Amino acid sequence: MSNLASSEANLGSATRESGPRSVAIFAARAAFLLVFLTVWEGAVAAGIADPAFVSTPTSVVRSLWLLFRDGEVISDLGTTLLEIMIAFLLSVVFGIASAVVLDRNDWLTRVVSPFLTAFNSMPRIALGPLFVLWFGIGIASKVVLAFSLGYFIMLLSTLGGLKNVDRDLLLMSRLFGASELRLFRHVRLPWALPGIFAGLKLTLIYCSAGAVIGEMIAAKSGLGLLVQTFSGRFDVAGVMAVILVVAFVVMALTSLMELSERRLLAWSKGSTDVPG
Amino acid sequence: MVANATHEAARAVDIRVWGLAVNFGQARNALSGVDLDVRQGEFVALIGASGCGKTTLLNVIAGLVPAAGGTVTIRDLPPSAGRRDICYVLARDALLPWRTVVGNVEYGLELSGVGREERERQALAYIEKVGLRNYRDFYPSKLSQGMRQRVSLARAFAVDRGIYLMDEPFSALDSQTKLLLHDQLLGLWESSGATVVFVTHDIGEAITLADRVIVMSKKGTGVVEEIRVELPRPRSADALQADARYHDLYRRTWKSLKASTE
Repeated sequence: MSNLASSEANLGSATRESGPRSVAIFAARAAFLLVFLTVWEGAVAAGIADPAFVSTPTSVVRSLWLLFRDGEVISDLGTTLLEIMIAFLLSVVFGIASAVVLDRNDWLTRVVSPFLTAFNSMPRIALGPLFVLWFGIGIASKVVLAFSLGYFIMLLSTLGGLKNVDRDLLLMSRLFGASELRLFRHVRLPWALPGIFAGLKLTLIYCSAGAVIGEMIAAKSGLGLLVQTFSGRFDVAGVMAVILVVAFVVMALTSLMELSERRLLAWSKGSTDVPG
Repeated sequence: MVANATHEAARAVDIRVWGLAVNFGQARNALSGVDLDVRQGEFVALIGASGCGKTTLLNVIAGLVPAAGGTVTIRDLPPSAGRRDICYVLARDALLPWRTVVGNVEYGLELSGVGREERERQALAYIEKVGLRNYRDFYPSKLSQGMRQRVSLARAFAVDRGIYLMDEPFSALDSQTKLLLHDQLLGLWESSGATVVFVTHDIGEAITLADRVIVMSKKGTGVVEEIRVELPRPRSADALQADARYHDLYRRTWKSLKASTE
C-alpha cells in the first residue's frame, strides 16, 4: 500500500530541474500538449470524431471563459472547496491521531483491524446516496463521503510510517533517558513524516473526488452539481471545463503541500525514502 | 567527578558483577558465575569469541537484560535502562537522519536536560574535538561511516556521564579509520575521567584502548583471564603498532583467547 501510495501521489510531482535541461523539458511538455490539442481539434474538423461526444479544445476554452465571465461558478467553486478543506482537515487530524493510538496499542489494533479492513473494502462511492439520506443534501453529506475516503488513506500511510521506525534510534534515545513523549516527537514522528506527506497528497485527491461525486448525487450547489447540469444538457465542453477547474484546484493545493514537504524533508533529499 | 587517584585501591568500584547468571529462554545458560569489578575511571575491554556473552554482560550492566542470578550494582544501585549516569554507545551509529551533525550531538544533551544555549556551545566543542567542525551542518547521509561514528562519540561524551558502555562501536570500520577513532576515543575518555566498559572482538583494539583486557570464556562461564595493559598513557594507536610490548600483549591475549574456545 505504502509504495503504491507514494508512487501514485508523486505522479504529478516531477523532481525540480534547473538550467538548460529544465528549459528543454518545459518545451517538450508544451509540444506534447500542443500535439494533443491539435490532433483533437483536427480529428473533429476532419469529421473523424463527433464534437457532440468529444467536444473540441476551443469549445472547452469557451465554456471555461463563460463559467468565469458570469462569476456563476465562483459560488459553486466555493462550496466544493469548503467541502474538500473540511473533509481533508478531518481526515488528516483523525487519520494521524488514530494511527498514533493504534501504533502504541497492539491489543486495540487486533480488535479493530478487521472492522477497519471491512469498512475500507466497501465502495464508499456506492454509500453516497445513503450519506445523502442520512446527512441531507447540504455540504455535510459530501464532507462525510470525502472523509470516509480520506481518513483511511491518512490512517494507513501514517501507520505504515510509524511501524517501521528504526529500533536502534528508539533504543539509543531510551538509553539517553528519553520519555515516551520525546520518543514520539524526536523519533517516531519525524520517521513517519515521509509516509505522512505521501498520504496527505493522496488524501487531498480522494477528498476532492469524494466531494465532487457527492455533489453529483444530490446537492444545492457545487462543481459536481454543475457537472450534472451540463451533462443533462449534453454540454460536453461544459463538463470538461468544470473537471479542468477541479483539476487545477487540486494541483494548486498539492503544490502548496510540496513546498512545505521540500522544507520539512530536506534531509531526505526530497525523496520519500528514509536513508538507512 | 574526575578521579585523580593514582593507586587503584583508592578508587571506588563503579561496577560490581558477582555470580551473575543470565538465561535466554528456558534451557540455555547464556552466562553463569560471572564476576567482574570495574573501578572508577578504569577502561576495561571485554573480549571473547562470538557467542561468549560479552554483549549480554554489557546489556545486563546497561539494564537491558535482566539477571537470573547473582548481583549487579552500578555505583551501589541496581542496573536500569536510561540512568542519568550511564551512556551506552551502540554498534551502529544511530544518528537521527533528519538532524545535522550539530543537531545530533545536541540531541543527547537535550535528552539530558541541558538548556538550549549551553547545548549548542557544548555540542560545538565536542564536534571540534572529533575534528568535524567543517561538517557541523551536514546530514548523516552525506557522511562516511567513520565520520558518523565520530559524531556518535561526540554525542556520547558531550553529555559527560560517569560510565560509558560501548558495544563494538568500531566493528564496521576499516583498519585505518579504526586507528584514527581509537585516538579520538582515548582523547575524549582521558579528558572525561569516565569509567568505560568496551566490548570488542578485535585484540589490537582492546590492547590499544584498555587498562585491563578481560578474556571471556566461550561457554559463558565468565572470565578466563585478565590481562593488565601497562602501556603508558597518553597512548597513540599509530605509535603502538611499533611497540614491542604491544605485540607481546597481543600474543598473550591471542593465546588466552584461543584457549578460551577449546
